[in-house]
Amino acid sequence: MTCLLLRLAGPLQAWGSRSRFVRRDTEPAPTKSGVIGMLAAARGVRRTDDLTEFLGLSFGVRVDQPGKLTRDFQTARSLDGGKSMPLSYRQYLADAVFVAAVEGDTDLLQGLHEAVRAPVFPLYLGRRSCPPVLPISLGLCDRSLREALEEHRWEAAEWHREKLRRQPTIALEVFLDAEPGDPGAQTIRDEPLSFDPARREYGWRTVIAETIEFPNLDYNGDAGDGLNLDHDPFALLDR
Amino acid sequence: MRRTIVDIHILQTVPPSNLNRDDTGSPKTATYGGVRRARVSSQAWKRATRKAFAAELDPSELGVRTKQVAAELAGRIRSAAPELSDQADELAKKTLNAAGIKTTPVKGKAEESGYLLFLSRRQYDNLAQAAISASGADDGAAGPKQAILKGLANSDHSIDVALFGRMVADASDINVDAAAQVAHAISVHAVDNEYDYFTAVDDRKEDEDETGAGMIGTVEFNSSTLYRYAALDVDRLRDNLGDDEATRRASEAFLRAFACSMPTGKQNTFANRTLPDAVIVRLRDTQPVSLVGAFEKPVVADASSGRLAKAAEELAGYTHRVEDTYDQQPVASWVVHVGVGTQALAGLGREVSLPELVKAVGEEIAGRLAEPA
Repeated sequence: MTCLLLRLAGPLQAWGSRSRFVRRDTEPAPTKSGVIGMLAAARGVRRTDDLTEFLGLSFGVRVDQPGKLTRDFQTARSLDGGKSMPLSYRQYLADAVFVAAVEGDTDLLQGLHEAVRAPVFPLYLGRRSCPPVLPISLGLCDRSLREALEEHRWEAAEWHREKLRRQPTIALEVFLDAEPGDPGAQTIRDEPLSFDPARREYGWRTVIAETIEFPNLDYNGDAGDGLNLDHDPFALLDR
Repeated sequence: MRRTIVDIHILQTVPPSNLNRDDTGSPKTATYGGVRRARVSSQAWKRATRKAFAAELDPSELGVRTKQVAAELAGRIRSAAPELSDQADELAKKTLNAAGIKTTPVKGKAEESGYLLFLSRRQYDNLAQAAISASGADDGAAGPKQAILKGLANSDHSIDVALFGRMVADASDINVDAAAQVAHAISVHAVDNEYDYFTAVDDRKEDEDETGAGMIGTVEFNSSTLYRYAALDVDRLRDNLGDDEATRRASEAFLRAFACSMPTGKQNTFANRTLPDAVIVRLRDTQPVSLVGAFEKPVVADASSGRLAKAAEELAGYTHRVEDTYDQQPVASWVVHVGVGTQALAGLGREVSLPELVKAVGEEIAGRLAEPA
């Protein structure tokens, strides 16, 4: 089993799965169809081309930094400014960092790793106005999906890690492809079958949400409310 | 023909202004690095760039975005063949339907398409020509052949469609993939929005005994140093335009228009038109690389240097670090910068003025496109 790990981070990203018309939502974490679309674009697969080689991949994502849900109000006018067109509301995830893992055939994943470094089509995180921040590909590893996400280091930014330094363990949410018969699995329309603009098609994907815990390397041993109980205020008076 | 990607990075300071506001009238913001930043949406700056094209380019190379496609096409048919004036509306409707663009009747006017449609002036001219020649060939009732029309609607793209793309929901085989990717502009530092409380005095009230303002209100604004990023995929642009010379002219026009344009939100209230403090262009052959990560930790001005100088240092340092760590050295690089505050960026590339930059990038692109595959 081989996994390709990807770091999906940038000022804004948006991963939709069920939006209609002028209200464009985002899921709280990258979707399988969004990431597979990004990898296909890196390989040079056009929207109208066949997607069969990507269908066998399994997908999981770990929420290293959940980010903030932001709403952008978008207007459109004709070029002379005379006519105003429908308004739209688009959601984005601001300031989020995710680690996505794609499991599949080693040769295919090696090709994808190289393609991400020199993509045929420029990459973006869900919407074209969201370019990613390097690094995108974190390399391959010989692990299963769950193991890869459990073992990879925490990719959150320094300010976020600083905020959580008082916690002895860090709990991160993980969304994985569910095994058949998993209790608590949710279904979303996220299995990409075709990106053809004439006939976009997504199948049902079952997802389970889990939590991964690991020790906090930045933990400074100070699990209390920060009181330094060794301080003796009367020491100053004795002098 | 080697892969060519042009990364454009701009640092631009904007005084108190409200360039781009949301539905509540507040300047748009985003959170990055845990703090709130000022933001100008990518669609706002793309529109400003598109409007600037009108000054840069020959109008025959620009497109028209409208729902009134049948009226537009009928107008072309009338001007090209006055003898078909009374048939023009019907002919236009048949031609558009045969090209795969559905139209619906509108009371008192020519048919409209259901969506905003983006066709270039040249495409309208070509469709009008096809309509006229087909009406001359047979009795005009059958209309021009479908395959030919779809071909016309799908080729000879104008420059702004080729750069920014077009989505047509009902005739999907004439979708065009955008060649330019424009990110949302965000400030390099934390920003708080401020309020300007204003009153408007009634001129006639001064004569009478009443006091007080005729109207009171608030305008929200902020000021910021923005980091703006765009990536132009020259190979995609060449595919969309089909011509090397047009690709070079389009790239030059995009570079000039993107650097010097600005959205016009609240322009008369704040008079905020400024030019960039620094424009850095990195020409690459691997992938577009956004340098926004330099500002993930917000820049803080201190007593020794202002925000712009700090931002320039951060950007220069981050650029070298990222390009060395991930082996993403550019093929060529140019820097346009104004004043000593941005001196830290001078080492990133050849220092030039903006016209020299545009000319040099155009020449480099033309040279790379001319090479055999």
